[in-house]
Amino acid sequence: MSAEESGGEPRLAPPLTLATGLAAGLASGLLGVGGGIIIVPLLVAFIGLTQHQSHATSLAAIVPIATVGAARFALDGSIDYGLAGLLAAGSLVGAPLGAFLLARSSEGLLKLLFGLLVLAVSAQLLLS
Amino acid sequence: MTAQTVLLVLAAGVLVGVLSSLFGVGGGLLMVPFMVLVLNETQHLAEGTSLLVIVPTAIVGVIAHLRNHFVSFRHALLVAIGGIGGAYLGADIALRIDPVTLTKVFGVFLAAIGIRTTYEGVKSLRA
Repeated sequence: MSAEESGGEPRLAPPLTLATGLAAGLASGLLGVGGGIIIVPLLVAFIGLTQHQSHATSLAAIVPIATVGAARFALDGSIDYGLAGLLAAGSLVGAPLGAFLLARSSEGLLKLLFGLLVLAVSAQLLLS
Repeated sequence: MTAQTVLLVLAAGVLVGVLSSLFGVGGGLLMVPFMVLVLNETQHLAEGTSLLVIVPTAIVGVIAHLRNHFVSFRHALLVAIGGIGGAYLGADIALRIDPVTLTKVFGVFLAAIGIRTTYEGVKSLRA
């Protein structure tokens, strides 16, 4: 049972929470992703946060994590700022649209579709 | 960038935004392959650019969640402390790896996520 359902405060468990951050940060810097895919399930499993709490908390942690990673790539000259501006602008328009659709779709079907999409993209990368 | 590329990138950004809030993932998983496969950028440039895009996107996400009190700032702080060290180290390792090899590493990571998510989807549909 999650902390929210039991009405209690979720435990802090500093060593596990720090380790979750370390693992997510490594993946984030190495692969250029936010790390939420690692943080969200670990906060659910170790800390007992609900899926929604983990998702929201993960976003807050990703802000400094991605900032540090981006700064390291910036030092190397590995950022295209024009491209980043366009992607961010598009993404900020798309996010509320996705949230609107989310409220109207089946979770299992979404997962299946996303899983298949990701598999197709990974095959492209591995075979390219 | 040509006007055509600008429109393509904006459209890709919208799609990334829709898919990431729809599937509850960050945009990086999709943005990095888009830049590498469609725009022919190097893996290093794609990763650096993706991380920069994630910062404002995540800030907007946090603001959207402030009203429902889902953000546990105590946990976020601890994750961030571990995460900052990991992020610097991870980025440093990435920049030492040859970009073509790094694309394959990314591909393996993505394949693992694809397998897990597909499995969860099938399980959830059967339930």
